[in-house]
Amino acid sequence: MALFPLSSNFEGDFVLQLLPVDTENTMDEVAAAAAHHSVGRRVRARPGQILRVRKQGSEDFLPRTMKVADAGFKPTETIEIVWEAPKH
Amino acid sequence: MALLTRMDWYDIARKTNWSPTYVTESELFPAELAGDYGLPQTAWEQYDEPYKQTYPEYVKIQREKDAGAYSVKGALERSKIFENSDPGWKSVIKAHYGAISRAEYAAASAEARMVRFSKAPGMRNMATMGTLDEVRHGQIQLYFPHEHVSKDRQMDWAFKAYDTNEWAIIAARHFFDDIMMTRDAISVSIMLTFSFETGFTNMQFLGLAADAAEAGDHTFASLISSIQTDESRHAQIGGPALQVLIQNGKKAEAQKKVDIAFWRAWKLFSALTGPMMDYYTPIEHRKQSFKEFMEEWIVAQFERALTDLGLDLPWYWDHFLEELSQQHHGMHLGIWFWRPTVWWNPAAGVTPVERDWLEEKYPGWNDTWGQCWDVIIDNVVDGNMAMTYPETLPMVCNMSNLPINYTPGKQWNVKDFPLEYKGRLYHFGSEQDRWCFEQEPERYAGHLSLVDRFLAGMIQPMDLGGALNFMSLAPGEIGDDAHNYAWADVYKAMREIKKAS
Repeated sequence: MALFPLSSNFEGDFVLQLLPVDTENTMDEVAAAAAHHSVGRRVRARPGQILRVRKQGSEDFLPRTMKVADAGFKPTETIEIVWEAPKH
Repeated sequence: MALLTRMDWYDIARKTNWSPTYVTESELFPAELAGDYGLPQTAWEQYDEPYKQTYPEYVKIQREKDAGAYSVKGALERSKIFENSDPGWKSVIKAHYGAISRAEYAAASAEARMVRFSKAPGMRNMATMGTLDEVRHGQIQLYFPHEHVSKDRQMDWAFKAYDTNEWAIIAARHFFDDIMMTRDAISVSIMLTFSFETGFTNMQFLGLAADAAEAGDHTFASLISSIQTDESRHAQIGGPALQVLIQNGKKAEAQKKVDIAFWRAWKLFSALTGPMMDYYTPIEHRKQSFKEFMEEWIVAQFERALTDLGLDLPWYWDHFLEELSQQHHGMHLGIWFWRPTVWWNPAAGVTPVERDWLEEKYPGWNDTWGQCWDVIIDNVVDGNMAMTYPETLPMVCNMSNLPINYTPGKQWNVKDFPLEYKGRLYHFGSEQDRWCFEQEPERYAGHLSLVDRFLAGMIQPMDLGGALNFMSLAPGEIGDDAHNYAWADVYKAMREIKKAS
């Protein structure tokens, strides 16, 4: 367990924000932590949608249960937190 | 005694140069301070300043300028213009004085470097007057706000700002240190006078003077108009230096310096002047939008200046033109949202009428920045004020030292421009900021942005209180909404009407 800084680029928001997380956090927990600083402050919630995490420049989301320690992030690396509509 | 007319002696005087015999030319003009362009003194003797003025003429005119500005101030001192000004306008002058006054004073040192170390005699003459100009600008822009310090502690930041680690001042200091305090004499002439002053002081001093006059602040209008007349003279120091470089095969080096300085100036002014013109100045007093001012005063003029000299438009010109509609809206939103961290009170500027104006000037505003403001407005109307404040820091560009932001909402295209250099990950707000770094990485690599300082444990405790203490923002100086959220009343009323219907 260790504090790990990331940079959050949240879909619909206007600014990158410093996002302190823990190396044991899952990607879902990272997305929730990022949402805390954007949703309800400058971005509206999207009921029914979930938030996914990807590295900047990647089209692929990281697995929701993947831990920060296993994601290969560099300290302060920018991640994108993107809304995903439920699959029908 | 009969005096010679100016043109009987001016050309001899302005070309006077030394042929050093006791020291070498490189000792007289060390490369670090004079510039290492491989050009002999004789090449620099071809420097031909377009604005020719003698010292007696300078003193006479400056005396008249000072007398004019000070007499307007004296006449209006009891007028209560400041007290009766819209709070948004007060924020304009607070932000201006804090960001500009001491930088002007520092510019005297940059001008003095040209006086002593330029190999071009004409430049030394012009810069002698430029040095005195900048001393005047420092002094007058500290003296004028001083009368308001007893009424409003934030006005004290006219003097205090540059002694602090407040984030906007870190950004301004990084920029001015780069283009004027740590460059050789010729680079100063290109980066400070040609790239920055030719364009951007027009914006700040003429554009804002027009808004000031509209807002009834005639003291401020006459002050900054008076300053601009000096700027428009000494801004011409750089042009002939560029001509010498281009004529002697140094166009690429000259172009690069122009491209770096112009970009960096743009970023700073997108944060400083953009919000002032499009959000803080009361809507009825706005002469033009920030973008319109930029297009008229900077784009057209700078394009012409570059073309006349035989330089190219900066490689990023198309992107710069695109940013004119976008970048400053995010800077404004960021400053307002992190409002406790500035020494002025940002005006939100988002009533329905103001939003219509923004939409007209910047089509698509409501679908982008407006989407973020919609959430903020709901929180203000609901009294949910905690959600109108941040709980973390914005990521800051390692070149501009400003928040990394761009267009939100339906056109969300915010992006980091990272670079790993010697094991450290740097973040930039644009390809251009990263490019500036890449031109001379060692020049910039050691600097710590506000976020770097936070992560290094230099800000303690690691919360808002610690950050405000680090930035020397004392109670009474900490920024808040300029109108104490009164602008939200119209939204409250709209909601009541909707409920009733």
